[in-house]
This record gives sequence, C-alpha cells and structure tokens, in this order.
Amino acid sequence: MVASVLAIKFRTQRHVLERERWRILIVIGGALWAVVLLPWTLWGASALAAEGSDFREDVLVGATLILTLGWVSVPVLITGLDDTLDPGRFASFGVGARRIMAGLTVAALLTIPVAFFTVFFLILTSVWRDLGAGPVIVAIVGAVLTVLSLVFVARVAAMWSTRVLASRRARGAAVAGIAVGLGLMAPLAWVLFSDGLDAVLENYLVVFLDQVAVTPVGAGMSAPNAAAVGDWFGVTWRLGELALWVLLLWGAWRANVAYALVNPKFRGAGTRRRDDTIIAAVKNAPMRGVLPTRSMAATAVRARLLRYWFSDPRYLANMMGVFVFPVVFVALVMPVTGLDVRWSFLAPVLLAASIGWGRHNDVAYDSSALWLDVVSGRIGVDVLRGRMSAIVAWALPATLVACAAIVAWSGLWQVAPALVGACVGVLGLTLGVSAVSSVVFPYRAPAPGENPLGAEVGSVGAGLVAQLVSSAATVVLLPLVIAPLVLALAVDPRWAWLACIAGLALGPAAYIAGVRLAGRAYDSRAGKLLGAVT
Amino acid sequence: MSHASATAPPHPGENPGVDVPAIALRKLTKRFGATLAVDTIDLDIPAGSFYGVVGPNGAGKTTSLSMATGLLTPDSGTAFIHGVNLWAVPEEAKRMLGVLPDGLHSFDRLTGAELISYAGLLRGMDRDTVEARRDDLLAALDLEGAGRTLVTDYSAGMTKKISLACALVHAPRVLVLDEPFEAVDPVSAGAIRRILTAFVESGGTVVMSSHVMALVERLCDRVAVIGGGRILAEGTLDEVRGGRELEDRFVDLIGDVADQRDLAWLRQS
Repeated sequence: MVASVLAIKFRTQRHVLERERWRILIVIGGALWAVVLLPWTLWGASALAAEGSDFREDVLVGATLILTLGWVSVPVLITGLDDTLDPGRFASFGVGARRIMAGLTVAALLTIPVAFFTVFFLILTSVWRDLGAGPVIVAIVGAVLTVLSLVFVARVAAMWSTRVLASRRARGAAVAGIAVGLGLMAPLAWVLFSDGLDAVLENYLVVFLDQVAVTPVGAGMSAPNAAAVGDWFGVTWRLGELALWVLLLWGAWRANVAYALVNPKFRGAGTRRRDDTIIAAVKNAPMRGVLPTRSMAATAVRARLLRYWFSDPRYLANMMGVFVFPVVFVALVMPVTGLDVRWSFLAPVLLAASIGWGRHNDVAYDSSALWLDVVSGRIGVDVLRGRMSAIVAWALPATLVACAAIVAWSGLWQVAPALVGACVGVLGLTLGVSAVSSVVFPYRAPAPGENPLGAEVGSVGAGLVAQLVSSAATVVLLPLVIAPLVLALAVDPRWAWLACIAGLALGPAAYIAGVRLAGRAYDSRAGKLLGAVT
Repeated sequence: MSHASATAPPHPGENPGVDVPAIALRKLTKRFGATLAVDTIDLDIPAGSFYGVVGPNGAGKTTSLSMATGLLTPDSGTAFIHGVNLWAVPEEAKRMLGVLPDGLHSFDRLTGAELISYAGLLRGMDRDTVEARRDDLLAALDLEGAGRTLVTDYSAGMTKKISLACALVHAPRVLVLDEPFEAVDPVSAGAIRRILTAFVESGGTVVMSSHVMALVERLCDRVAVIGGGRILAEGTLDEVRGGRELEDRFVDLIGDVADQRDLAWLRQS
C-alpha cells in the first residue's frame, strides 16, 4: 500500500507539472532557495557555536517557534499547492485509514521542504559539538523529532482548517477570529508604548522563550543544553514530551484522514430566510423617479455587493485584512521605532490605500456567476458604479472614523483638513485604479464557498502582473494627494487647506473617471471576463 | 476578430418575404490552445422554432452557445440575433436574448426572489413590473416556498429553475438554454415544458442543448447535431433522423464506441 500511495503521489505530480509548467518554476525556485540557504545555515551554526550555551538555546528555540508558525500557516493560506495526498480523493476506493496512513506518512516525508529542513536542523546540531558527544546525540534526536512534528503539525493544521472552513457559519467564525487577533494587538501595543522595545526584549522575550523551551515546540532544541549541564532527567522528559507530541499529531492526522474518508466535503449551513432587499434598495433609492431606469441596474448591483460585503467570508476577510497594516503600524511599528506622533497620520492614509488597492481584483470575486451581469446587456458602467459604490459605502465611513480617531489622539487639529483631504484623495485614486485593473487584469480569486483566506495557486502569474501594474499606477498617482499632507505636517500647517482641496477634488474625480473607464472596458471585454476569472 | 467579414443574414424589413432567423451563426470559430473547439460553424435557427442542439461531451455545444449569447468572444465570425450583430451591437442583441448557462455559479448569497429581481433590474425594467413577474415566476416554477431562502441552500434542480426564471424575467424573444432539464425533478420538468411550449406557440424561439434524445424528440421541431466542433446534421427533426430513432442516427453520425469489449467477468452467473 505504501508503494501504491507513493506511485499515485509522484505520478500526479508529474502530470500536474506537465500540464501547468509554471509550477516547475516553484520547484526550481524552492530548490535554489534551499541551496542558497544551506551555506548561510553553516555560517550561522558556527557563529552560534561561539556563544554561551543559554544563548544558543534561546536562538534555536526562537527559530523553531517561527518555523513552526510558518509550517502551520503556509498550508492553511495557500490552498491547492500540494493536494495530491488529499485523503478525500481516496474516499471512493473504500480503503480504511489504517491501510493508507503508512503510505501517506512516507509520502509526506518525501518532499523537498522536509529534506531541506532535515538538513537544516542536522547542521544546527553542530552548535553543541564543543560540549561533547552527549549533547550532540541528544540534539540529533531532538532535530529529527522536531522535523517530524513540523510535518505532522502542517498536515493537521491544513486538514482542520479545511474542515472548519467547510461550513458557512464556521467561515464567518474564522473571520471573527481574525478580528479578535487584531484586537489582541492592543495590549501588546500598550506594553510597547509604556516600556519601550529594549525593555521588552530584555525582560519579556527571554522569559517568553524560556516558556516556549518547555513546550513541545522548543523541547527538542532545549534538550541539548540540559544534556550539557548533565541534567539527564531534563533531557528525558523533554525528548519524551516531544516524542509524545509527534505521536499525538500523527494520531490527530490519522483521525482526520479517517474522518475525510467517510465524510466527503459538503457545503452548507442552516437555511436563512430574508425579504427581497434588492427590490427594496431600488424602492428606497434617493432619486426615485428622477434617475433614468438604467441606473437602477447600478442600484441593484450595489445592493447585491453590500450583501456580499457583509455576509461572504471572502469579502469579510478582505475587509478585516485592510485594517492589519494601519493597526500594526500604530500599535507596533511606531512604539518600537519611537516615531514622532505626526507619523500616526500615516495610519488612515494606509487604511484608505489598503482598501482601494486591495480591490484591484474586485470583479473576479464574482467567479463564474458574473455571466448574469454579462448577458444582461451593455451595462458595464452601471456594474462598476454599483460595485465601487458598495465599497465606498463602508470604506469612506471607516476611513473618516480613523481620521477622527488619529486627530483626536494626536491633538493636531490644525492638520485635520489635510488628513481628511489626503484620505479621500487616496481612497478615490486607488479605487479608480482598482476599478480599471479589476476589469483589464482580472485573475482567479477564491470561488464562492472556498477558503476565504486562500490564495489561488493557479493564478500566481496573472496575479503578479495585475498587482505590479496596479501598484505602479498607485505609486505614480498618490503623491498628488499625499505630498500636500506631508508639507502640512513637516513644513507649515497652512498647506493643510491645499491638501484638503486637492484630495477632495482629485479623489472623487479619479474615482468617477476610473469607474467610467472600467465600465467601458467591461463592455468591450465582456466576452473575455468569464474565462479570465474561472 | 473579424465580425464584419461574416455575411450578414437578412435584416428585418430589408428584404420582405425572407424570414429573419432568430439566431444566425456565421463562420463562428473558437480555439483553446491546441484544441479547435468550434470550427467555422454556420447555422440559421428560424424564428418561432423549438430548436435542439445535441452532441457528445466536448463537442463544442456550450462553447457555441456561449459565443451566440455574448459570454465568450469568438476568435472569428459572429452571431446575429434577429438580424442584429451580437458582437457589434450587443446592447440591442442582448435585449432579445434570455440565457441559461450550464455549470456556472450564480449569485448564491441572494435569495431566489432577490436573484430574479436582480436579473430584472439589470435589464432596466421598472420595479413594479419586476416585482409582479418575480412573484409569477416563483409560483410558475414551484419555488414560492423557497423564494426567501438563499440560493446557496438550494438543490441543483432548484438552482436550475431559479436561473431559468432569471432568463425569462424580461420576456426575451429568444431563449438559449444549456441543459435546462438537468437535475430537475419530473414535476418541475413538466412545468418548464409547458412554459417553453407556450412561449414557442406565441412566436418565441427556444434553443436548447441536451443529452437526452427522447426529450429533444418530444419537444423540438428542429435539431442540429454537433461533433468535433462542426455541424454534422441540421434540419427538421424528421429530416435529421431520416425515419429512425434520433438516438440511432446520432450514434451513426458521431460513431459508436470503437472497442465494444465484452466484460465477461462482470456477469453474475
């Protein structure tokens, strides 16, 4: 059975590489990365060997913690990178978990990343060479167990996240989890602001790493140091704990495989009942009877997108995501680097830019459902107007609240007009650019019901072009509205009014121009969009 | 793309006495990489006909219908809807078309009722008409109980029916339906048949693709057999089947499974 599973794995991989040749680039890139990194690892190991043994332990534990986070998050975030061993694919063959687990385990270990990290950790065991054979042998056992734990923890994380994200309600919960994660930045920021980075590194980091060292994550790396001081009891329970952890992870993986073999992927949640809000949106349109009937299409599109923004996890994850940069900047970067309070004005600008630039693939989120918009006539401008105004409906208030909060916190009221102007300008410009980009360079986005946090691997090439072009356009245009804000903050507050006028004029102008341009492009590319986003 | 190079069918009023086809495909061609999916297809679908398009899997049916409805840009050639060039004047041509594609997502975070309203509003209809037709369609397609449920919670057949409602809401002159009866239960299929038959009797045109030959024979008055991206046979139902069952004629045209191996080991005794 091991041989059969391995044969399936390698044959599938060969076929995938033959069909999608760009994946070879990923393989070559990964191999190059590994080859380049190994000399550095050797150099790092020899440098570390010259340090005190406690310091060696702290560095190794810290590095393993970061690697563990990487092994957990990469398979969760990048779906489809290696699904050749998705146990769901074995479901129809009627084999039990017991029979295929050996094959799956061997197959999971025969990958380039596993080979690299095995070599990586084995090189690091040389750090303990000067302390005799005992610590080195303990280090080798710890290294092998740590690599096993990384491989298994990645499998468990990937399978659990797929299972959790399979139902609509759970996907909503995952999004709420992101929000809570952002909220947790606050106490961290508070500590950083009040104590400063040096104190944190000195007091908290070492304590923190000492705690990690007794968990399975760091146990394999801290055991050699225990051996060095002759604490063989400490060595035994550390390695024992790690071995138990590896077994537990393998057991959890196996349980998940057993589950996946008899529970095919499903969609759904309870049924919810709603009134027709699409028709209601048209009835409540402010210019009822005045607007020509065509723009009712824009109202309908806007109403639909508002539903998606507030109920589809893919959109919600995006909405949460735009707050990451500004929050990290104010809560972490500013206190750590000791920046002047005026730098906080960057946060609302960052927020506006993240929102606007983040929508550069907006149209693709419809997936193949956009056929309905395409067959309904030559209504590109209405479609884009509806889409973009649905974003403005939440983005503008969010940006203005951020502006007000930052101004109130900094007390720099005289620069407030400049900040509002710059933010409106940035939002309008970036949304205008995104509107055009999302029609001209759309690429595959997660389809409805898929992992909202996932990047679609098949879209890497197309996505790169779209991101480069929309970033370049954004970088060229943004100074128009940001420069006066910078002058107002750095030179003379009287620039504030120019910043205000420039932003309030250029932002909406760029937005309207972008929507019109994108709408026309939508009509002329209507027969190509469906193929581009699916 | 060379829309202009195709010979246009007669326009309404241009040549009295000559019937304008509901759909006219002219030299329609589409290539995907090395595969020639649709190979210079010419086809006239007369107005007022119930037209069946049949063909094996991968024959190019869906690709042809997509190019005839504005969903897929042809490499060359074009489609005329009642004499209007779809790829040159899409706003006018699409107004006359109602489309039900196969295998595509729908906006499934809307309820069934909302999806119909949405389709109607996109077509520029006024809200009172949309509201009235929405309720009519939900009732006629036996979806009244599901109108307030999200489409994502629908079964495959219900999703098909709600998409059909979207194709009907603006009362088009031509309906292009890709596998309209797939996954639909017999009661609903009966309702859809009645709606479509009445639509054709009143002068509308239905173009329907299907794998179910019995259904095509029962409903359609004309039929085209597509294979390998070309039209292998076209005409009235009787012309195409030439006094035999449509299925036999179809197998003749397409060619049967070459190696009909006897699976002796499968026999139970």
